Amino acid sequence: MEHDTLGRLLPDGVDPREADELDATWRLLGAIDAPPPDSERMRARLDAVVDAVEHTHLPARPRLFGSYVLQGLAAAAVLVIGIGIGWFAGSERYAGSERTRPTLTATGPATNAGAASELAAMRSEMHDLREMVSLSLMQQQSASERIKGVTWTGQLDRPSGEVVSALLDALMHDPNVNVRLATIDALEHFASRDDVRRGTIQAVQSQPSPLVQIALIDFMVKTNERESAATLRRIAMDPQANDAVRARAAWGLQQLG
Amino acid sequence: MHAVRKGDVAKLGLLFERYHRPLFDFLARMTGNAAVAEDLVQDVFVRVLKYRATWRDEGRFETWLFRIARNARADYFRSRSLDEPIDEAAGQASHAPLAIDTLARDREVARLQQALMLLREDKRELIVLARYRGMKLEEIADLLGVEVGTVKVRIHRAVKDLRDIFLRLNERPSWNTTHSVGSFPTA
Repeated sequence: MEHDTLGRLLPDGVDPREADELDATWRLLGAIDAPPPDSERMRARLDAVVDAVEHTHLPARPRLFGSYVLQGLAAAAVLVIGIGIGWFAGSERYAGSERTRPTLTATGPATNAGAASELAAMRSEMHDLREMVSLSLMQQQSASERIKGVTWTGQLDRPSGEVVSALLDALMHDPNVNVRLATIDALEHFASRDDVRRGTIQAVQSQPSPLVQIALIDFMVKTNERESAATLRRIAMDPQANDAVRARAAWGLQQLG
Repeated sequence: MHAVRKGDVAKLGLLFERYHRPLFDFLARMTGNAAVAEDLVQDVFVRVLKYRATWRDEGRFETWLFRIARNARADYFRSRSLDEPIDEAAGQASHAPLAIDTLARDREVARLQQALMLLREDKRELIVLARYRGMKLEEIADLLGVEVGTVKVRIHRAVKDLRDIFLRLNERPSWNTTHSVGSFPTA
Protein backbone atom coordinates (compact mmCIF):
# COMPACT_ATOMS: atom_id res chain seq x y z
CA MET A 1 0.00 0.00 0.00
CA GLU A 2 1.02 3.53 -0.64
CA HIS A 3 0.94 4.93 2.89
CA ASP A 4 3.15 2.55 4.80
CA THR A 5 4.35 5.41 6.94
CA LEU A 6 2.20 8.03 8.55
CA GLY A 7 4.50 11.05 8.36
CA ARG A 8 3.28 12.62 5.13
CA LEU A 9 -0.35 12.29 6.20
CA LEU A 10 0.02 14.31 9.36
CA PRO A 11 -0.41 18.07 9.53
CA ASP A 12 2.58 20.30 10.13
CA GLY A 13 3.65 20.96 13.69
CA VAL A 14 3.03 17.57 15.22
CA ASP A 15 5.53 16.82 17.95
CA PRO A 16 8.21 14.49 16.48
CA ARG A 17 8.04 12.08 19.42
CA GLU A 18 4.29 11.81 19.11
CA ALA A 19 4.62 11.39 15.36
CA ASP A 20 7.00 8.45 15.92
CA GLU A 21 4.58 6.80 18.34
CA LEU A 22 1.68 7.21 15.98
CA ASP A 23 3.77 5.93 13.13
CA ALA A 24 4.50 2.74 15.08
CA THR A 25 0.76 2.20 15.47
CA TRP A 26 0.26 3.00 11.80
CA ARG A 27 2.85 0.41 10.78
CA LEU A 28 1.29 -2.21 13.02
CA LEU A 29 -2.03 -1.63 11.27
CA GLY A 30 -0.41 -3.19 8.22
CA ALA A 31 -0.37 -6.54 9.99
CA ILE A 32 -4.17 -6.77 10.19
CA ASP A 33 -5.42 -8.96 7.39
CA ALA A 34 -8.85 -8.81 5.82
CA PRO A 35 -10.41 -11.99 4.44
CA PRO A 36 -10.49 -12.48 0.68
CA PRO A 37 -13.91 -12.12 -0.93
CA ASP A 38 -15.76 -15.12 -2.34
CA SER A 39 -15.51 -13.63 -5.82
CA GLU A 40 -17.20 -16.52 -7.60
CA ARG A 41 -20.31 -16.41 -5.48
CA MET A 42 -20.49 -12.63 -5.63
CA ARG A 43 -20.10 -12.69 -9.41
CA ALA A 44 -22.91 -15.25 -9.72
CA ARG A 45 -25.25 -12.99 -7.76
CA LEU A 46 -24.30 -10.00 -9.87
CA ASP A 47 -24.80 -11.94 -13.11
CA ALA A 48 -28.33 -12.80 -11.99
CA VAL A 49 -29.03 -9.10 -11.55
CA VAL A 50 -27.51 -8.17 -14.90
CA ASP A 51 -29.43 -10.96 -16.60
CA ALA A 52 -32.70 -9.72 -15.13
CA VAL A 53 -32.03 -6.14 -16.18
CA GLU A 54 -31.04 -7.16 -19.69
CA HIS A 55 -34.24 -9.11 -20.10
CA THR A 56 -36.35 -6.16 -19.13
CA HIS A 57 -34.58 -4.02 -21.74
CA LEU A 58 -34.94 -6.28 -24.76
CA PRO A 59 -37.24 -4.41 -27.13
CA ALA A 60 -38.32 -7.42 -29.20
CA ARG A 61 -39.39 -9.57 -26.33
CA PRO A 62 -42.55 -7.68 -25.36
CA ARG A 63 -44.06 -8.21 -28.81
CA LEU A 64 -43.66 -11.95 -28.43
CA PHE A 65 -45.68 -11.92 -25.26
CA GLY A 66 -48.24 -9.54 -26.64
CA SER A 67 -49.66 -8.34 -23.38
CA TYR A 68 -48.06 -5.82 -21.11
CA VAL A 69 -49.21 -7.68 -18.01
CA LEU A 70 -47.47 -10.82 -19.20
CA GLN A 71 -44.30 -8.87 -19.86
CA GLY A 72 -44.26 -7.68 -16.28
CA LEU A 73 -44.85 -11.17 -14.98
CA ALA A 74 -42.13 -12.58 -17.20
CA ALA A 75 -39.63 -9.99 -16.04
CA ALA A 76 -40.51 -10.66 -12.42
CA ALA A 77 -40.12 -14.39 -12.98
CA VAL A 78 -36.68 -13.89 -14.51
CA LEU A 79 -35.70 -11.80 -11.52
CA VAL A 80 -36.88 -14.35 -9.00
CA ILE A 81 -35.38 -17.33 -10.79
CA GLY A 82 -32.06 -15.62 -11.45
CA ILE A 83 -31.60 -14.36 -7.95
CA GLY A 84 -32.90 -17.59 -6.47
CA ILE A 85 -30.33 -19.63 -8.38
CA GLY A 86 -27.57 -17.29 -7.33
CA TRP A 87 -28.70 -17.35 -3.75
CA PHE A 88 -29.02 -21.11 -3.65
CA ALA A 89 -25.63 -21.62 -5.24
CA GLY A 90 -24.19 -19.12 -2.82
CA SER A 91 -25.73 -20.87 0.17
CA GLU A 92 -24.28 -24.19 -0.94
CA ARG A 93 -20.85 -22.72 -1.37
CA TYR A 94 -21.16 -20.85 1.88
CA ALA A 95 -22.12 -24.01 3.75
CA GLY A 96 -19.10 -25.77 2.27
CA SER A 97 -16.75 -23.03 3.34
CA GLU A 98 -18.25 -23.07 6.82
CA ARG A 99 -17.51 -26.77 7.19
CA THR A 100 -13.90 -26.34 6.23
CA ARG A 101 -13.25 -23.29 8.40
CA PRO A 102 -11.62 -24.41 11.64
CA THR A 103 -11.64 -21.19 13.60
CA LEU A 104 -15.29 -20.37 13.42
CA THR A 105 -17.42 -20.40 16.50
CA ALA A 106 -20.71 -20.19 14.62
CA THR A 107 -23.29 -22.81 15.58
CA GLY A 108 -26.94 -23.48 14.75
CA PRO A 109 -28.46 -20.14 15.77
CA ALA A 110 -25.69 -18.29 14.01
CA THR A 111 -26.41 -20.25 10.84
CA ASN A 112 -30.08 -19.37 11.14
CA ALA A 113 -29.16 -15.75 11.61
CA GLY A 114 -27.01 -16.01 8.49
CA ALA A 115 -29.93 -17.45 6.51
CA ALA A 116 -32.23 -14.72 7.78
CA SER A 117 -29.65 -12.15 6.81
CA GLU A 118 -29.40 -13.68 3.33
CA LEU A 119 -33.17 -13.62 3.00
CA ALA A 120 -33.35 -10.01 4.11
CA ALA A 121 -30.61 -9.14 1.65
CA MET A 122 -32.48 -10.92 -1.11
CA ARG A 123 -35.67 -9.04 -0.32
CA SER A 124 -33.76 -5.82 -0.35
CA GLU A 125 -32.24 -6.70 -3.70
CA MET A 126 -35.65 -7.54 -5.12
CA HIS A 127 -36.92 -4.18 -3.99
CA ASP A 128 -33.93 -2.42 -5.51
CA LEU A 129 -34.37 -4.32 -8.74
CA ARG A 130 -38.01 -3.37 -9.00
CA GLU A 131 -37.07 0.25 -8.47
CA MET A 132 -34.32 -0.03 -11.01
CA VAL A 133 -36.60 -1.61 -13.61
CA SER A 134 -39.21 1.09 -13.00
CA LEU A 135 -36.72 3.90 -13.32
CA SER A 136 -35.11 2.38 -16.42
CA LEU A 137 -38.44 1.98 -18.15
CA MET A 138 -39.45 5.53 -17.25
CA GLN A 139 -36.41 6.81 -19.12
CA GLN A 140 -37.27 5.05 -22.38
CA GLN A 141 -38.13 6.98 -25.53
CA SER A 142 -41.30 5.02 -26.16
CA ALA A 143 -44.31 6.36 -24.28
CA SER A 144 -45.72 2.87 -23.78
CA GLU A 145 -42.45 1.80 -22.14
CA ARG A 146 -42.61 4.80 -19.86
CA ILE A 147 -46.17 3.90 -18.89
CA LYS A 148 -44.94 0.43 -17.99
CA GLY A 149 -42.25 1.97 -15.81
CA VAL A 150 -44.81 4.15 -14.08
CA THR A 151 -47.09 1.18 -13.47
CA TRP A 152 -44.21 -0.95 -12.13
CA THR A 153 -43.86 1.47 -9.25
CA GLY A 154 -47.14 0.09 -7.93
CA GLN A 155 -45.19 -3.01 -6.88
CA LEU A 156 -43.06 -1.05 -4.47
CA ASP A 157 -44.07 -1.02 -0.84
CA ARG A 158 -41.76 1.74 0.24
CA PRO A 159 -40.40 3.55 -2.79
CA SER A 160 -37.25 5.60 -2.50
CA GLY A 161 -37.36 9.35 -2.87
CA GLU A 162 -35.85 8.91 -6.30
CA VAL A 163 -38.83 6.90 -7.55
CA VAL A 164 -41.33 9.43 -6.21
CA SER A 165 -39.28 12.26 -7.71
CA ALA A 166 -39.24 10.48 -11.06
CA LEU A 167 -43.02 10.10 -10.92
CA LEU A 168 -43.53 13.75 -10.06
CA ASP A 169 -41.09 14.74 -12.78
CA ALA A 170 -43.04 12.67 -15.29
CA LEU A 171 -46.28 14.26 -14.12
CA MET A 172 -44.86 17.73 -14.65
CA HIS A 173 -42.74 17.29 -17.74
CA ASP A 174 -43.55 14.14 -19.69
CA PRO A 175 -44.67 15.22 -23.16
CA ASN A 176 -47.19 12.39 -23.45
CA VAL A 177 -50.63 12.87 -21.87
CA ASN A 178 -51.15 9.15 -21.33
CA VAL A 179 -47.92 8.89 -19.35
CA ARG A 180 -48.98 11.80 -17.19
CA LEU A 181 -52.38 10.21 -16.59
CA ALA A 182 -50.73 6.90 -15.65
CA THR A 183 -48.49 8.80 -13.26
CA ILE A 184 -51.50 10.18 -11.39
CA ASP A 185 -52.79 6.64 -10.87
CA ALA A 186 -49.37 5.54 -9.63
CA LEU A 187 -49.06 8.45 -7.24
CA GLU A 188 -52.27 7.44 -5.50
CA HIS A 189 -50.26 4.71 -3.75
CA PHE A 190 -48.06 7.36 -2.20
CA ALA A 191 -50.64 10.07 -1.60
CA SER A 192 -49.80 10.31 2.07
CA ARG A 193 -46.35 11.70 1.31
CA ASP A 194 -45.89 15.46 1.63
CA ASP A 195 -43.86 15.74 -1.57
CA VAL A 196 -46.59 13.98 -3.52
CA ARG A 197 -49.28 16.27 -2.13
CA ARG A 198 -47.24 19.36 -2.90
CA GLY A 199 -46.28 18.07 -6.34
CA THR A 200 -49.82 17.31 -7.44
CA ILE A 201 -51.11 20.68 -6.24
CA GLN A 202 -48.35 22.37 -8.19
CA ALA A 203 -49.02 20.22 -11.25
CA VAL A 204 -52.72 20.99 -11.45
CA GLN A 205 -51.92 24.67 -11.94
CA SER A 206 -49.29 24.19 -14.62
CA GLN A 207 -50.78 21.35 -16.67
CA PRO A 208 -51.41 22.24 -20.30
CA SER A 209 -53.82 19.32 -20.73
CA PRO A 210 -57.41 19.71 -19.41
CA LEU A 211 -57.66 15.92 -19.22
CA VAL A 212 -54.71 15.73 -16.84
CA GLN A 213 -55.99 18.68 -14.84
CA ILE A 214 -59.35 16.98 -14.36
CA ALA A 215 -57.64 13.72 -13.39
CA LEU A 216 -55.58 15.65 -10.83
CA ILE A 217 -58.68 17.29 -9.39
CA ASP A 218 -60.27 13.84 -9.06
CA PHE A 219 -57.05 12.65 -7.38
CA MET A 220 -57.31 15.44 -4.84
CA VAL A 221 -60.92 14.67 -4.08
CA LYS A 222 -60.20 10.97 -3.81
CA THR A 223 -57.30 11.53 -1.44
CA ASN A 224 -59.26 14.22 0.41
CA GLU A 225 -56.49 16.74 -0.15
CA ARG A 226 -57.83 19.77 1.69
CA GLU A 227 -54.66 21.76 1.13
CA SER A 228 -55.62 21.93 -2.52
CA ALA A 229 -58.80 23.95 -1.82
CA ALA A 230 -57.18 27.32 -2.45
CA THR A 231 -55.73 26.12 -5.75
CA LEU A 232 -59.05 24.64 -6.86
CA ARG A 233 -60.84 27.86 -5.96
CA ARG A 234 -58.38 29.83 -8.05
CA ILE A 235 -58.90 27.52 -11.04
CA ALA A 236 -62.69 27.61 -10.64
CA MET A 237 -62.59 31.41 -10.83
CA ASP A 238 -60.00 31.67 -13.60
CA PRO A 239 -61.67 32.88 -16.80
CA GLN A 240 -58.69 31.65 -18.82
CA ALA A 241 -59.13 28.06 -17.65
CA ASN A 242 -60.87 25.42 -19.74
CA ASP A 243 -64.63 25.34 -19.02
CA ALA A 244 -64.63 21.66 -18.13
CA VAL A 245 -61.68 22.15 -15.81
CA ARG A 246 -63.34 25.10 -14.09
CA ALA A 247 -66.51 23.09 -13.60
CA ARG A 248 -64.53 20.16 -12.23
CA ALA A 249 -62.58 22.41 -9.89
CA ALA A 250 -65.84 23.84 -8.54
CA TRP A 251 -67.16 20.31 -8.07
CA GLY A 252 -63.93 19.36 -6.32
CA LEU A 253 -64.26 22.28 -3.93
CA GLN A 254 -67.76 21.14 -3.00
CA GLN A 255 -66.53 17.58 -2.40
CA LEU A 256 -63.73 18.73 -0.16
CA GLY A 257 -66.22 20.77 1.84
CA MET B 1 -18.53 2.83 -17.12
CA HIS B 2 -19.32 4.73 -20.30
CA ALA B 3 -20.79 1.56 -21.81
CA VAL B 4 -22.78 0.76 -18.67
CA ARG B 5 -24.19 4.26 -18.60
CA LYS B 6 -25.27 3.91 -22.22
CA GLY B 7 -27.21 0.77 -21.34
CA ASP B 8 -24.67 -2.00 -21.95
CA VAL B 9 -25.29 -3.49 -18.51
CA ALA B 10 -23.28 -6.63 -19.33
CA LYS B 11 -20.16 -4.46 -19.02
CA LEU B 12 -20.91 -4.20 -15.33
CA GLY B 13 -19.10 -7.52 -15.03
CA LEU B 14 -15.84 -5.83 -16.05
CA LEU B 15 -16.30 -3.17 -13.42
CA PHE B 16 -17.05 -5.86 -10.89
CA GLU B 17 -13.85 -7.76 -11.72
CA ARG B 18 -11.81 -4.60 -11.37
CA TYR B 19 -13.32 -3.12 -8.24
CA HIS B 20 -15.02 -5.76 -6.12
CA ARG B 21 -11.88 -6.63 -4.19
CA PRO B 22 -11.03 -3.09 -3.02
CA LEU B 23 -14.69 -2.50 -2.25
CA PHE B 24 -14.93 -5.72 -0.29
CA ASP B 25 -11.74 -4.93 1.60
CA PHE B 26 -13.04 -1.48 2.52
CA LEU B 27 -16.44 -2.75 3.61
CA ALA B 28 -15.07 -5.77 5.47
CA ARG B 29 -12.70 -3.58 7.43
CA MET B 30 -15.43 -1.06 8.13
CA THR B 31 -18.06 -3.57 9.23
CA GLY B 32 -15.79 -6.24 10.66
CA ASN B 33 -17.98 -8.82 8.97
CA ALA B 34 -17.21 -10.58 5.70
CA ALA B 35 -20.78 -11.72 5.00
CA VAL B 36 -22.16 -8.23 5.49
CA ALA B 37 -19.38 -6.86 3.29
CA GLU B 38 -20.34 -9.28 0.52
CA ASP B 39 -23.95 -8.17 0.66
CA LEU B 40 -22.91 -4.56 0.61
CA VAL B 41 -20.65 -5.04 -2.42
CA GLN B 42 -23.62 -6.56 -4.21
CA ASP B 43 -25.71 -3.59 -3.17
CA VAL B 44 -23.04 -1.21 -4.48
CA PHE B 45 -23.15 -2.72 -7.97
CA VAL B 46 -26.95 -2.74 -8.02
CA ARG B 47 -26.79 0.96 -7.14
CA VAL B 48 -24.24 1.54 -9.90
CA LEU B 49 -26.82 0.19 -12.34
CA LYS B 50 -29.61 2.15 -10.77
CA TYR B 51 -27.80 5.46 -10.68
CA ARG B 52 -25.55 4.99 -13.72
CA ALA B 53 -27.07 8.04 -15.39
CA THR B 54 -25.80 10.22 -12.57
CA TRP B 55 -22.12 9.41 -13.19
CA ARG B 56 -20.21 12.24 -14.84
CA ASP B 57 -17.05 11.72 -16.88
CA GLU B 58 -15.15 14.47 -15.17
CA GLY B 59 -15.34 12.73 -11.81
CA ARG B 60 -12.98 9.93 -10.83
CA PHE B 61 -14.92 6.68 -11.12
CA GLU B 62 -13.37 5.05 -8.05
CA THR B 63 -14.31 8.02 -5.91
CA TRP B 64 -17.89 7.83 -7.16
CA LEU B 65 -17.92 4.10 -6.45
CA PHE B 66 -16.65 4.52 -2.90
CA ARG B 67 -19.20 7.26 -2.33
CA ILE B 68 -21.88 4.73 -3.24
CA ALA B 69 -20.22 2.18 -0.94
CA ARG B 70 -20.28 4.61 1.99
CA ASN B 71 -23.97 5.31 1.41
CA ALA B 72 -24.76 1.62 1.07
CA ARG B 73 -23.05 0.89 4.36
CA ALA B 74 -24.78 3.77 6.13
CA ASP B 75 -28.18 2.69 4.76
CA TYR B 76 -27.54 -0.89 5.81
CA PHE B 77 -26.85 -0.02 9.41
CA ARG B 78 -29.67 2.51 9.49
CA SER B 79 -32.18 -0.12 8.38
CA ARG B 80 -30.72 -2.74 10.71
CA SER B 81 -31.05 -0.44 13.68
CA LEU B 82 -34.77 -0.19 12.97
CA ASP B 83 -35.42 -3.89 12.47
CA GLU B 84 -33.05 -5.85 14.62
CA PRO B 85 -30.13 -5.46 16.94
CA ILE B 86 -26.73 -5.21 15.35
CA ASP B 87 -24.53 -7.98 16.55
CA GLU B 88 -21.21 -8.86 15.09
CA ALA B 89 -21.83 -6.77 12.05
CA ALA B 90 -21.36 -3.58 13.97
CA GLY B 91 -17.76 -4.49 14.33
CA GLN B 92 -17.81 -5.39 17.95
CA ALA B 93 -14.56 -7.10 18.35
CA SER B 94 -15.67 -9.29 21.21
CA HIS B 95 -17.55 -11.25 18.55
CA ALA B 96 -14.54 -11.49 16.34
CA PRO B 97 -13.51 -15.03 15.58
CA LEU B 98 -10.45 -16.40 16.91
CA ALA B 99 -7.16 -17.46 15.56
CA ILE B 100 -5.47 -18.51 18.72
CA ASP B 101 -1.83 -17.62 18.82
CA THR B 102 0.35 -17.04 21.79
CA LEU B 103 2.97 -14.94 20.09
CA ALA B 104 3.20 -11.47 21.52
CA ARG B 105 3.01 -9.76 18.17
CA ASP B 106 -0.13 -11.61 17.23
CA ARG B 107 -1.74 -10.53 20.48
CA GLU B 108 -0.67 -7.00 19.77
CA VAL B 109 -2.15 -7.08 16.29
CA ALA B 110 -5.34 -8.56 17.67
CA ARG B 111 -5.63 -5.77 20.21
CA LEU B 112 -5.02 -3.20 17.55
CA GLN B 113 -7.79 -4.70 15.47
CA GLN B 114 -10.01 -4.62 18.53
CA ALA B 115 -9.11 -0.98 19.00
CA LEU B 116 -9.82 -0.22 15.36
CA MET B 117 -13.30 -1.66 15.66
CA LEU B 118 -13.91 0.30 18.84
CA LEU B 119 -12.82 3.52 17.19
CA ARG B 120 -15.53 5.95 16.12
CA GLU B 121 -16.83 5.06 12.68
CA ASP B 122 -15.79 8.22 10.84
CA LYS B 123 -12.28 7.93 12.25
CA ARG B 124 -12.07 4.26 11.36
CA GLU B 125 -13.13 5.13 7.84
CA LEU B 126 -10.28 7.60 7.45
CA ILE B 127 -7.75 5.06 8.61
CA VAL B 128 -9.14 2.36 6.34
CA LEU B 129 -9.12 4.65 3.31
CA ALA B 130 -5.60 5.94 3.92
CA ARG B 131 -3.89 2.86 5.34
CA TYR B 132 -5.57 -0.02 3.55
CA ARG B 133 -6.97 1.50 0.37
CA GLY B 134 -3.88 3.64 -0.08
CA MET B 135 -5.98 6.60 -1.16
CA LYS B 136 -4.19 9.87 -1.67
CA LEU B 137 -5.08 12.76 0.60
CA GLU B 138 -6.68 14.56 -2.34
CA GLU B 139 -8.86 11.56 -3.13
CA ILE B 140 -10.01 11.22 0.46
CA ALA B 141 -10.74 14.94 0.56
CA ASP B 142 -12.79 14.63 -2.62
CA LEU B 143 -14.67 11.61 -1.29
CA LEU B 144 -15.52 13.27 2.01
CA GLY B 145 -16.08 16.70 0.54
CA VAL B 146 -13.50 18.46 2.72
CA GLU B 147 -10.13 20.18 2.28
CA VAL B 148 -6.86 18.25 2.23
CA GLY B 149 -5.71 20.07 5.36
CA THR B 150 -8.84 18.92 7.15
CA VAL B 151 -8.14 15.34 6.14
CA LYS B 152 -4.65 15.59 7.63
CA VAL B 153 -5.97 16.94 10.91
CA ARG B 154 -8.62 14.24 11.08
CA ILE B 155 -6.14 11.47 10.31
CA HIS B 156 -3.95 12.78 13.09
CA ARG B 157 -6.85 12.70 15.56
CA ALA B 158 -8.02 9.32 14.35
CA VAL B 159 -4.63 7.64 14.78
CA LYS B 160 -4.18 9.32 18.12
CA ASP B 161 -7.53 8.03 19.36
CA LEU B 162 -6.75 4.61 17.96
CA ARG B 163 -3.47 4.51 19.83
CA ASP B 164 -5.18 5.60 23.07
CA ILE B 165 -7.74 2.80 22.80
CA PHE B 166 -5.00 0.36 21.88
CA LEU B 167 -2.92 1.31 24.93
CA ARG B 168 -5.95 1.01 27.20
CA LEU B 169 -6.60 -2.48 25.88
CA ASN B 170 -2.97 -3.36 26.51
CA GLU B 171 -3.38 -2.34 30.13
CA ARG B 172 -5.98 -5.02 30.69
CA PRO B 173 -4.16 -7.63 32.79
CA SER B 174 -5.89 -10.81 31.76
CA TRP B 175 -6.68 -10.22 28.19
CA ASN B 176 -7.80 -13.43 26.64
CA THR B 177 -6.51 -13.92 23.13
CA THR B 178 -9.40 -16.22 22.35
CA HIS B 179 -11.54 -13.11 22.36
CA SER B 180 -9.34 -10.96 20.33
CA VAL B 181 -7.28 -12.27 17.50
CA GLY B 182 -8.92 -11.40 14.39
CA SER B 183 -9.78 -12.22 10.99
CA PHE B 184 -13.44 -11.46 10.31
CA PRO B 185 -16.74 -13.11 11.06
CA THR B 186 -18.36 -14.59 8.02
CA ALA B 187 -21.95 -14.67 9.19
